[in-house]
Amino acid sequence: MNTLRILAVDDDPVTRSLLEKRLVKAGYRVETASSGDQALDFIGDRFFDVVLTDLMMPGGADGIGVLEATKNRWNQTEVILITAYASVDSAVDAMKKGASDYLTKPINLEELMLRLQKINTLKSLTKDAEGLREAMDVTEKNAAQTIQDLEIMVSELQHTCSAIKRTLADKNLETPERIARSLKMLSSLAG
Amino acid sequence: MIRIKPEEIELLSKYICGITGIDLDQKKAYLRENRLGPLAGEQGFSSYGELYYKAKVDPALERKIIDAITTKETLFFRDNGPFELLQHKILPELIDRRTAKSSGLLPVPIRIWSAACSTGQEVFSIAMVLKELLPDMTKYNIKLLGTDISDTAIAQASYGRYNQFEIERGLSRDKVLKYFNPNGGSCWKIKDEIRAMASFRRLNLMLPFDGLGKFDIVFCRNVAIYFSLEDRKKLFNKILDVVERDGYLVVGSTESLAGVCSSFEPKRHLRSIFYQLKE
Repeated sequence: MNTLRILAVDDDPVTRSLLEKRLVKAGYRVETASSGDQALDFIGDRFFDVVLTDLMMPGGADGIGVLEATKNRWNQTEVILITAYASVDSAVDAMKKGASDYLTKPINLEELMLRLQKINTLKSLTKDAEGLREAMDVTEKNAAQTIQDLEIMVSELQHTCSAIKRTLADKNLETPERIARSLKMLSSLAG
Repeated sequence: MIRIKPEEIELLSKYICGITGIDLDQKKAYLRENRLGPLAGEQGFSSYGELYYKAKVDPALERKIIDAITTKETLFFRDNGPFELLQHKILPELIDRRTAKSSGLLPVPIRIWSAACSTGQEVFSIAMVLKELLPDMTKYNIKLLGTDISDTAIAQASYGRYNQFEIERGLSRDKVLKYFNPNGGSCWKIKDEIRAMASFRRLNLMLPFDGLGKFDIVFCRNVAIYFSLEDRKKLFNKILDVVERDGYLVVGSTESLAGVCSSFEPKRHLRSIFYQLKE
């Protein structure tokens, strides 16, 4: 199920429209921004699963600016950079700053779709893992309480049993008294 | 993935139990495939039988199997309760008693052992509690030992470096900034002053505890759960020998010593339980 929310950022209207069309067709929820600065506005306002941004954009924030702002605001957002072949080195630098991937121009749309599918799979696995962890925490907490209560109860029973044993073996007491005291201890347990 | 054959399941289960104590459910053969398959493939074996026969005569391979098969699930301040217990009950009590006994000339010794420390989160959580509780550390001679059966776990613990995912589990932002330094990419490394409080070494809990010494506090959490009842009994009876007469034992929040070791007595403090030797 393609439910990723994607923001595509590119100053070139043709690329922007191509990306939007193709991503919408694949079932993703897409918004577009025509500049780094406009992207920053969007990112400041709402969460996207993936930000797909051109690395070089004129004026204001460039791709790195968009990457940094996104990671500051939403650590879980994946950022994919689009770069000209000549600037692959800067894309690698961007990966060090937390970008999850880069694509070179001209964009191979099939490749983009594969990357997005991988991100989608990873996101659902992470969500599953978080769900499982929460379930485990709750189960563990409940189990811990029960086990601790039982542990203390067993320990108290052992103490009482030892006390009864000592009382029954107490030579200083008459037999009826030994039995009476033991029964009293037993009945305190039942209470 | 190399498929496990029915006759290999029992062979491997017995072998793994023998070297690690881990009592794997024989019905969960897939666990062995998931965990040992990549290792068998990497070593060029075509069956688990081959892996088994080679490992029996190759200690380095055996250690790789141990690494692959052990569960390393851990997080900072796991379950929280034991660390509150340590901070508000165990350490204050222990320090009072030890200080009263000390001549005042030498630093007061406090020896703590985390018996299955995995990648070190439990040890460093204990160290952080000590640091918060004892402003003047020079008054104490703290020995904090972390042991684990897995080489790679001990190596990571010793290096004290954690990725973003590990660091976010159990630690507040404040604690991360206070006790860790950023270390490349999105990783963090424990500060030297905390690292210096602890030492780490590899130890197989199934073997005798030779030369381990005595401890005031032992944490043995979430490891015996993987052992058979018989091995659990052996383990806690060995721990009995290394806990000081007035020392403390803390086990996992869902573990019980009832029917396992009758020399320890459970005591409750707030929402947690700890064990002490019976009078």
